[in-house]
Amino acid sequence: MFRILKKSLKTGVVTGQHPKADAPREPASPEAVQKTKPFTRSLAIREVDTGSCNACEMEMNALANPVYDVERFGVHIAASPRHADALVVTGPVTVNMTRALKDVYEQTPDPKIVIALGDCAINCGMFKGSYAVTGPVERHVPVDVRIPGCPPRPAEILKALAELREGKKP
Amino acid sequence: MADAQTAISQLNEAFGNAIVGVSDLHGTPVLRLGVKDLPVVAHYIHTHPGLRGALSLLWAVDHRPREARYELCYLFTLSECRDWLLLCTDLQGDDRLFHSITPHIHAAKWYEREIRDMFGLIPQGHPDLRRLVRHEHWPKGTHPLKKDFRWDTVLEQAQGEYAFRRIEGEGVFEVPVGPIHAGIIESGHFRFSVAGEPIMQLEVHHFWKHRGVEKLFEQLRLTDAVPLAERVSGDTTIGHSLAYCQAVETLLGIHVPPRAHYLRSLFLELERLHNHLGDVGAICNDTAYVLAHAHCGRMKERILQLNDQLAGSRFLRGVICVGGVSLNLTDHQVAQVTAELDAIETDFSELERILFANASLTDRLETTGVLNERAAWDHAAIGVVGRASGMDRDIRRDRPFAAYEELQPKVALYRYGDVRARMRVRMDEIHESARLIRDIRARMPQGPALAEPSGAPKPGEWALSAVEGWRGEILYMVMAGEQGQIHRCKVRDPSFVNWPAIQWAVLGNIIPDFPLINKSFNLSYAGNDL
Repeated sequence: MFRILKKSLKTGVVTGQHPKADAPREPASPEAVQKTKPFTRSLAIREVDTGSCNACEMEMNALANPVYDVERFGVHIAASPRHADALVVTGPVTVNMTRALKDVYEQTPDPKIVIALGDCAINCGMFKGSYAVTGPVERHVPVDVRIPGCPPRPAEILKALAELREGKKP
Repeated sequence: MADAQTAISQLNEAFGNAIVGVSDLHGTPVLRLGVKDLPVVAHYIHTHPGLRGALSLLWAVDHRPREARYELCYLFTLSECRDWLLLCTDLQGDDRLFHSITPHIHAAKWYEREIRDMFGLIPQGHPDLRRLVRHEHWPKGTHPLKKDFRWDTVLEQAQGEYAFRRIEGEGVFEVPVGPIHAGIIESGHFRFSVAGEPIMQLEVHHFWKHRGVEKLFEQLRLTDAVPLAERVSGDTTIGHSLAYCQAVETLLGIHVPPRAHYLRSLFLELERLHNHLGDVGAICNDTAYVLAHAHCGRMKERILQLNDQLAGSRFLRGVICVGGVSLNLTDHQVAQVTAELDAIETDFSELERILFANASLTDRLETTGVLNERAAWDHAAIGVVGRASGMDRDIRRDRPFAAYEELQPKVALYRYGDVRARMRVRMDEIHESARLIRDIRARMPQGPALAEPSGAPKPGEWALSAVEGWRGEILYMVMAGEQGQIHRCKVRDPSFVNWPAIQWAVLGNIIPDFPLINKSFNLSYAGNDL
């Protein structure tokens, strides 16, 4: 017990100790901001991987670590699409995941926000045209927010979410 | 201890008539055999006490349009001397049948199913000929790696249902999990059969994320494909790009400068460190010990930020290139890395003392998810998973690449094969990686870090390369095509080998322990599905 306390005291607060991100390359559209209004203080996210290389997942996971601590903004990860307000989709949509993506979208209650995270989700990236890929996310479900990057840094994701929440003009 | 040459003469004695030819590929002996004789020879290599060959890789090549034949290659690692031995056979013309080795060598199971899906070649005698990569809605006769299949074909929709292995009886029920999971996890499907709590059977149904990586490689030139290799499995950016570059360098005859070798080792160890730190935390998190997860997440983040500072990418993207590294760190930067790592290692040692003193954590980890030595051998398990189950294999020591010849890494080895052993392997490797990086700083020579690519390989020439990534051995086979194009690139992430092993490790455990066991394996879905 003493060791644990000592360690915690020695470590102190690390939240926010990360380099600042630049302004998002794709500013949030007014429609998306409008759509997010009901969720400004609490946003439940469902993460859907439709064929990413898992770097985007790593960065999504990093959002939950003490340095970024995304929960302080009321953002949390839901375990079921039925509990979700927003879907975060990563990766080009593969032939095998197409149906799963559509199912998840249908199971998420309205109003819902779809966030395409990473270059692959936005334009298929390196996997464009492959026989095993059916296209970017927006070919299958309507996309409200795009967060580009390969992968986008956690600070950039935070910034994009903040902009969505606060509706700031770039 | 027999080396590969003695093995060859031994095989010559036993199967003299069957062996069509013996050649040498960059130091690896290659035996050419008839299709019929191959299973017998493979079985002999696998079981003979002096050889004990573990199947490391099995791949096929479509040689059209140059020659009308398919080639099948079986790569064995001889356990006694850790040398490679390669068996090759041809299927001429329209011949599409070959003899399965799975009845004798369990590790070949998924490889042969994969070859059937990708090439349409049929392994006769294979106990399980269900589709693996192609899901049931792919139209019949779709074999993407055949040369007459266009890379940008738009697939039509067919109907069908995957037949899971069923256990039936009173009180037995099935629990389907996935493909989309309840956390931030990649996509894959698990089907449990349980009676009460204990798992009676687990079937892993993957390849949801199949992106056609191997076909995409064939559209690229040898020197342009590094970014694709980096994206095979994002958390193993350095491991995959390094393995790919090494194969290409062998083909092009490039001599990588000594400083680049050291820098490559440094980046590879940085990648190992941040992933292992994350894993130790995640294992603790799955026992609801959140404190350790928070500390580990914080330490992992420090390394990722360090990466960002050095290379402008948290995953060190774009650092490894054909001929060396694009980022020649200054001595000052290397000193900065070691200073940061010293601090992190002290930090981690303090956390370790807290973890080892926690009896309830140990209670959850011990005897959970045991992969015993025999099962590990049968699956040819590798990497962290293998080393926790007594498989003493580490490419860094066995086939030194980059600067590991001089660095001489110590290999962490445990025998219990439970979750705790896998965590201990990771903890030991964290300390070893920190030591290696300090050693790299002390030994690193000055000079350039990049050699210009030159020369062009003849079409049909090929090379193998192996790298010990943080998960385990990553293998690449790259074959050159016309005018610097890639004719075939076989990618093997360690996950492909270790996924079937997890089906054994969970037996008898309760479903609530599955996330813990899965985390202790921590395999890549993207690297497996390709």
